[in-house]
Amino acid sequence: MSLVVEGLCWGHAVPGGGRRELFRNFDFQSRRGEFTVVIGSNGSGKSTFLNLLAGTLRCDSGSIRLNDQPLQKLPDHRRARRIGRVMQNPLEGTCPGLTIAENLRLAEGRRRSTIGWQGLRGIHPNQADRRRYRDLLEQLGLPLADRLDSLVGLLSGGQRQTISLVMASLGNPELLLLDEHTAALDPKAEAMVMALTDRLVEQLGCTTLMVTHSLSQALRHGDRLVMLHDGQQVGGWDAAQRQQLTTEALQEMYGAVRVSTTP
Amino acid sequence: MLSLWLGAFDQGLAYASLALGTYLTLRLLNFADLTVDGSFALGGGTAAVLISQGVPIPLALLAALVFGSLAGLVTALIHTRLGVNDLFSGILTTTGLYTITLRLMGRSNIPLTDITPVVQFPDLGQGDDGRWAIALTLVVLGLIGLISLFMATDFGLALRAIGNNPTMARANAIPQGLGICVGVAAANAMVALAGALVTMYQGFADVTMGIGSLILGLGMVIIGESVLRPRSVPMALLAAVIGAVLFRLLIAIALQLGLEPVDLKLTTAVLLLLAMSLGRIRLPGVSNPAGGRP
Repeated sequence: MSLVVEGLCWGHAVPGGGRRELFRNFDFQSRRGEFTVVIGSNGSGKSTFLNLLAGTLRCDSGSIRLNDQPLQKLPDHRRARRIGRVMQNPLEGTCPGLTIAENLRLAEGRRRSTIGWQGLRGIHPNQADRRRYRDLLEQLGLPLADRLDSLVGLLSGGQRQTISLVMASLGNPELLLLDEHTAALDPKAEAMVMALTDRLVEQLGCTTLMVTHSLSQALRHGDRLVMLHDGQQVGGWDAAQRQQLTTEALQEMYGAVRVSTTP
Repeated sequence: MLSLWLGAFDQGLAYASLALGTYLTLRLLNFADLTVDGSFALGGGTAAVLISQGVPIPLALLAALVFGSLAGLVTALIHTRLGVNDLFSGILTTTGLYTITLRLMGRSNIPLTDITPVVQFPDLGQGDDGRWAIALTLVVLGLIGLISLFMATDFGLALRAIGNNPTMARANAIPQGLGICVGVAAANAMVALAGALVTMYQGFADVTMGIGSLILGLGMVIIGESVLRPRSVPMALLAAVIGAVLFRLLIAIALQLGLEPVDLKLTTAVLLLLAMSLGRIRLPGVSNPAGGRP
């Protein structure tokens, strides 16, 4: 197994006093290269789970192992070296004040110690870097290859999310986390970003978790579908089982778990 | 008359590294660093003590750089290790620095009468003002070149990313605490250098000389940006220096118009307010509708 989560516990204080334990002994596993789509209603713990994996949130107890190495004791930046991440908001995943080439360079250097002597070796992004990025964007069929020196802040939301996705795929990530990364996009941009997602996941062959609210996406993408509710896994389907599902059936399940778990 | 303008030009260049330091923290790192007020006086005090005891000028400047960077490091550590807000961290350090600078100087004011230059520059027919102009131009151009080179490396790119989008920097494995420590220390080293250069130029150091330095540096950066509208780091650094020189020229004009030296602080405040308003005031057909910055 590539990703093994065991006995994960995490809770948070609630307004007015008290505490809500969202994850209680949560277990999760994923094979190397497996693309898992995670669905669930608001507050079910989908994004929190990704944040706990990425280290943005610290779990109260339990263990998270990525390719047989424990993640939770690593400092943030050491953990981030192994994880590619695309956020929901296109504004969050990129630096708007830097150019496309500079953003790509930062992502490509994820495995290096940029703040240190190693980061002082040479001027970057240089011509060789630019050539490499142009080839990469052309190979992925993205019409941004001739805009490497444009500020990312001047791109559209879809284009920014495309760059964010390409950035997450650079630096040999062992785990790719996609947190509702098409939620802020129009249908055309969504289709473009999802096509790129499938392509990159296949090329990288790394373990991928994608959180989404789109049931049609959940039925069309990934190798496995998982439904969360209240910090628990309440449904799981492999590719073959998913063939039998429809969006209506999934919507019914959303309603059913809400009724069955509401006190 | 020319001597007056050359003097203002010299003062602008002496203050230029204050503008460069402010640009680094406020614009690149997005860190509101009030240590500047303390490290400017610390740099001036350090240089005055050492030069008055016969220490060679380059060593005195080096000491100012080191002390300034230590001051910045303290602020950055308070912020990153203890989680104190950036403004409060700087206020804490700058409050402590007042005592440290006073202890270092031993008294509140140290005059410098005989400064022996290391290199004798040509005087451009203007005496010492001409020599200062050449020496300071070389120092400032060297600083712009060094910082531009540094900012073009992966290290510099990582610092820019921290200031531009901390969330993205975090997701891309950039150790932000370390980056802020390096950036704020380097910025305060430059501010202390400005303090030392101003001390040498004006011929004395005073423990209160740092008051208002941050706002002064910010004003210089803003004036430079309004004039040059920079789109790259080297141009932004050049804009900060041009802002510093323009600011001192404006002060010289105010003095020429008959203003008393006692009115200088108010004049400074009004000038800065005007500079900061430039981006907000819309003049039909003249102002850029997109705003004050590109």
